[in-house]
Formats: sequence, structure tokens, C-alpha cells
Amino acid sequence: MRRGLLWLGALLLLGGCASSRPIDEIQIIQQMGYDFEDNHYVGTAVYPTFKQGSMTKPNMLTTSSPTVYDLIPRLSSKSALPIEEGQLRLILFGKQFAERGIEQITHSLARNNKVGSHLFLGVAEGSAKELLEITAKTTLSDTLYLPNLVKQNEQSMNLPKTNLHLFLYRYFSPGSDPFLPYFEKKGEFVKLEGVALFRDGRYVGRVSLRDSFLMKILLGETKNGVYQLKVGERGKQGEDRVMLQNLWAKPTYRWKRDGNRHTLDVSVHIHASVKDYPSWLDEPGANLFADVKKKMEKELEQNMRRLFRYFQEKRIDPLGIGDFVRSVTRQWDRESFYREYPDLDIRPRVTVDIIHTGIGE
Amino acid sequence: MKQAVDERFLISPFLVFFIVHATQVGVGVLGFQRPLMKEAGQDAWMAVLLAGLAAHALIWLMYRLLAYSPSDGDIVSLHEHYFGRWFGGVLSTGLLFYYALAAFTVLQSYIEIIKVWVFPLMGAWQFSLIFLVLTYYVVSGGFRVVASLCFWGVVIPLVTIFPMLFFSLEYAQYRNLLPVFDHSPAQIIKAANDMALQYLGFEMLLMYYPFLKNAPSSQKWAHAANALTTFIYLTVMFISIIFYNKEQIEHVTWPTLTLAKIPQVPFIERMEYIVISIYVLVVFPIIAVSVWAATRIAKQLFSVRQRRSLPVLLACLFIGTLFFQEKTAIERLMQWTAKVGFSVIAVYVPLLYVYVWTAEKVKKALQQKP
Repeated sequence: MRRGLLWLGALLLLGGCASSRPIDEIQIIQQMGYDFEDNHYVGTAVYPTFKQGSMTKPNMLTTSSPTVYDLIPRLSSKSALPIEEGQLRLILFGKQFAERGIEQITHSLARNNKVGSHLFLGVAEGSAKELLEITAKTTLSDTLYLPNLVKQNEQSMNLPKTNLHLFLYRYFSPGSDPFLPYFEKKGEFVKLEGVALFRDGRYVGRVSLRDSFLMKILLGETKNGVYQLKVGERGKQGEDRVMLQNLWAKPTYRWKRDGNRHTLDVSVHIHASVKDYPSWLDEPGANLFADVKKKMEKELEQNMRRLFRYFQEKRIDPLGIGDFVRSVTRQWDRESFYREYPDLDIRPRVTVDIIHTGIGE
Repeated sequence: MKQAVDERFLISPFLVFFIVHATQVGVGVLGFQRPLMKEAGQDAWMAVLLAGLAAHALIWLMYRLLAYSPSDGDIVSLHEHYFGRWFGGVLSTGLLFYYALAAFTVLQSYIEIIKVWVFPLMGAWQFSLIFLVLTYYVVSGGFRVVASLCFWGVVIPLVTIFPMLFFSLEYAQYRNLLPVFDHSPAQIIKAANDMALQYLGFEMLLMYYPFLKNAPSSQKWAHAANALTTFIYLTVMFISIIFYNKEQIEHVTWPTLTLAKIPQVPFIERMEYIVISIYVLVVFPIIAVSVWAATRIAKQLFSVRQRRSLPVLLACLFIGTLFFQEKTAIERLMQWTAKVGFSVIAVYVPLLYVYVWTAEKVKKALQQKP
């Protein structure tokens, strides 16, 4: 009897401690946009409202403030339910905002125990708010349109893997710089347009979605991605292109000393399938593919060289070359490496193996 | 001279494996990587290994020391035997305070984690109350209950938390391990010194030694436990080196918990909350064993029944938790406890061994003289 009363008392006392947050009494933010306009920061939050059954409708909240940290509390003052950020899937930065630097946000995200490591970050040309508005308008029930877009493109197309963890990893790493997916508004649609490059948390430039295929391979992600190559001069428009699909690729870096200068040899081995190619390649008997292979390798090498030169001119290292050099150098010195970096001799060499050309001949 | 412990209170020698391992792995495993990688970078794993070997040596030394204890006794009877009632009593009281401090620090640092990650709005006293009531329940059940708690405190986290860490290999950068030996031996030894604190916990053996059936035969189990601890620390260290880079880890307070953010299953997206909840089972045995050891010293020294001293000690711990709220204060407390523990185990125990050893030699020499 006495013991029972004790338990009852404990239950009553401890029961009062619970702070529960039922799902329909909170505002779950799934996407967030940050912009900088007219000396003000603009924050946009996209949250789903649940209608009948599985029907959800994306809704938006927007507010502006002279500081960044103030945005979420200010959003709260427009929301009837408490805002929860635990389900954030994507944070979109407007280009202007990204040019001013996104360190503040990423540092605060790194400290925030509520958001997951799989959160996507992205950069929008123009304003993030506008892009989020478009996706909210055009998608009927899919409130996660943009995060799914990024995920799909990372898993099966040209976009290299990015998320909060990888961003922070590259941001803090002494031997690499971060990058994020880059979106553009195309009419009434949002389109993935490539990769936005950062130096010390500031947006400095971008590469196209086509070139991000090369980035993906050079970063050591072995699978997926497509690349269109020009292999001849004959025929009408489009009649001299082949579409290469990456089945398996592996880059090998080699750091060499050449007199008092260093060179970096990058050899890339690609196993590819070529399904789309011009009809003149089909000529029976003649082994035209050997010739085409050579041309593809040459063009890939040329494009890689162009990409490396672009990174060197911008003094950024999204491929983590510094980190590679660190791993093969004793007492690696960051300063002296990046002093040498802009005129580093980087020599890409590509080998393509055409594994198959589909089920037709 | 005290009587040997009644046989019905004894435990099998192999259970030492679970007690030693449970007391070694605590809150430290969640964040030990930071100071190590700051000192030794990608070579930090060597420091983990070195410190593990040192712990093996100390366990060996402790068994040798306890073998000198009269009638399979504990450190208290050893103190009394060699230093007399008064000075030996002072030493044992010091040990009592150390055990209480160890329990307090573990409790406090776990509460801090809960407050930061899960329930930011709750007061520390609510958790410490629940914890200490549970501790009362376990410790008043006697040493056998404490030992069985240690058993589950090893098995459950090992099969639930440990495999979760491997999910983060998705983002592994194996080149982070290179170049090997890029740090000077001095740096690695300094890191090993920091690491040594993470192996603390086996010093509770000084008190529960008489409760082991055929105690000297349990030594191999204690070494096996330490080997498992080394293996776990080494695995966590390797995973952290290839998952984070040196700069990044400086910005993460509990790198191991942040590792647990990576696995995702459809019904639970954020595994770290599960890890923190299961971690009760890691933390709880440490508190129980050290509180048990402290009350056991009180019983041996002052003949206070454990049932009497236990509530007093728990009340002290409870009041203590009310005073430590700030992160910096808790950090200072942890460092301080680590220093005390380190000097107890790595300085005091070897010195004591040397003293006891020479005393025995001298005694023998005197006896042989006619």
C-alpha cells in the first residue's frame, strides 16, 4: 500500500515534466530561403499544410530583418503554431546572400542539434524566395520538390554529392573548398543549372551542369552521370555528337616534383556506355569506334584542363587537391601550397573504355 | 582483520569482464577525439593504442598489488595492514571521495548531454533525481545486482549503438589517414596521456576484488575487457578520422553523437536521439559501481551499513548537481576529476605497489635473520 502510493506520487510528479509537441500543433518547416535585398535579410519558410488524406499543400511565410539570426523568431511572430526546424530538408541561398557569405548560417547549423546532417543546401540565381514561391505554386502535393530534385540528380545524374555534412567538411578542411547545387528560374519552372563554387563561404562562381560531370568523376564518385561529346565535323547539327554514360570511373592523382616546380598528374579511367551516337558510326565492318574513342578522350582531357584552369584562376579548390597533396606530403604547408596553386601544372589524362552500346547494333 | 566475504555474495570471475568494460566506457567515448586529433591529427589512433597498452600494464599491476592484501581483502584492508589504522584510514577516505567524485562527474556530464540534445528546457535536478533513485534501487540490491547491471550495460549498447557508427563510412575519406607518422613521438605520447583518462574505471576493481570467486583467476577477464575497450576506442577513432577532418572536428562538441546523425531509417530519421537514450545503459553502471564502491569503503572504514550511508551519499550527489549548470563549470569539473583519477591510478597505485613490495622484502629479510 505504501509502496503503491509512492509510485503514484512519483508518476504524478514526473508526469508534469513532459513537454510534448504533437505533430498537428507545430509548424514543420521543410525548406528555408535566405535572401539579401535592399540592405535587409529576407527569410522564407516553406511548410506543408495537411489537407485530406495524403494531400499536402506547401505554404509560405516570409519576413525581413536587418540581421540573420532574427529571421526565425520574426517568422514565429507570423505563425499561429510554434515553428520546428527539425525536418528542414533544404536551405536555399539567394545569389546576393551567398556572395556576402553564408558562414553565419552554416556555423549556426553546425551547432544546431535539431537539423540533420543530410540537409541539402543550394544557391538560387536571383532570389531564393522567388524560387521557393514557384515550387510552392507549381507542385500540387509534393512539398519536397527541390530536395527530391537534388537527391535524384545526385543519385543518377551529373550532380556531385552535397549536403550539410559535406559542405561543412569541405568548408573546414584546410585542403578544399565547398560547393553547392545551383538553381535558376526558367519561365515557370526551377531548373538545376550546375554547381555553385565557394571560397571561404562566399559564392565566387559556378560551373555548368555538363561540367559538373567532370567534377563528379574527379571527386572520386564512381558511378552515374552523362556527358555529351562532339566527335566529328560531318553531318547536320547534332549529327556529330555522342552521349556517354558513366558506368564506373576512377581518378588517380599523382603528385610529382619537377625541378623546383610541382606537377599533378590526374589519370581518369572511365568505363562508359554509349547508347546515343550518330548513324554514320553504324557502318558495318569498319571499326569507327576506336577513332571515336580517341576523340572522346581528347575532348574530355581538354575540358578537364579548362575546368582546372577555371578553378586555379578563381583560386578555389573544390576538388580537394590540397587535401590530396596533404595526404602524400609530410608536414604539409597550406600557405605555400596555395601560393603555388594558381600556376600548378595539372595534367589530366583520360582513358575511356566503351563497355557496350546498348542491345542494338 | 576483516572477515572474507560470504560466498553467496560472490560473483563468477568472468563477470569481471563486464564490470571492467562497463566502467571504462562512459561519456568520454562521445567526445574523446577532439583533444587527441588536435594534438596528433591523423596519428591519434596510435595514442589510443598506446594508452590501451598502458591500461593493460596498470591492470596487471593492480592484480599484483591486491595479491598482497591480507585474506583476499580490498584496498581498505591493504591500507590498514601496511599503514596502520589512522594513516591507512585517511588514504581510504581519499579513495572514497574519489569514487564519489567519479560518480558525480559521470552523472553531471550525461545530464549535460540530455539537456543540450533532447530536453533543453528541463532542469538538471529532475534527471538526477530519477537517476539517483534508480541507483539507490540497484546499489541497495547488493553487488550482485550491480554486476548484472554491468552485464546489460555492456551487451545492449554493443549490439545497438556500436553498429550504428559504421553507417558513416558512406562519407569516408580514407586519405585522411595519410601520411602515417606525420607527428612527432612527443605529440603522440602527449595525446596518449590525454587518452589515458578514457580508460579509467578499472580502479573500482580495488574495491570489488574480494567479491570475486577465485579472484586471481579473473585477471585474464579484466585484460580481455580492457582489450575490448581499446578495440572500441580504436574503431571510433578510425571512423572519426576518416569522417571528419582535423579542422572540422574542432567545431563538434560530441563527434561520436554527430556521427550517429548519419544513419537514417524510414521510421526514425534521427538516430542520435536513440543513441542518447540507450546511453543511459552505458552511464548507469558506472554510477552504480562507483557509488557502491564508495559506500563499501564507508562500511569497511566506519562500520556504517551500506543501507545507511547510501542515502546520505546520494543526497550529496543530488545537491551537487544543483550547483553545476554552466558548460564551462562542468568541463572544469571533468578535467579535474580526470586529473585526480589519473593520479590515483597511474601514480598512486604504482607507488603503493613499490612500497608494499619493498615492505614485504624487508619483512622477509628480517624474518630470515635469526
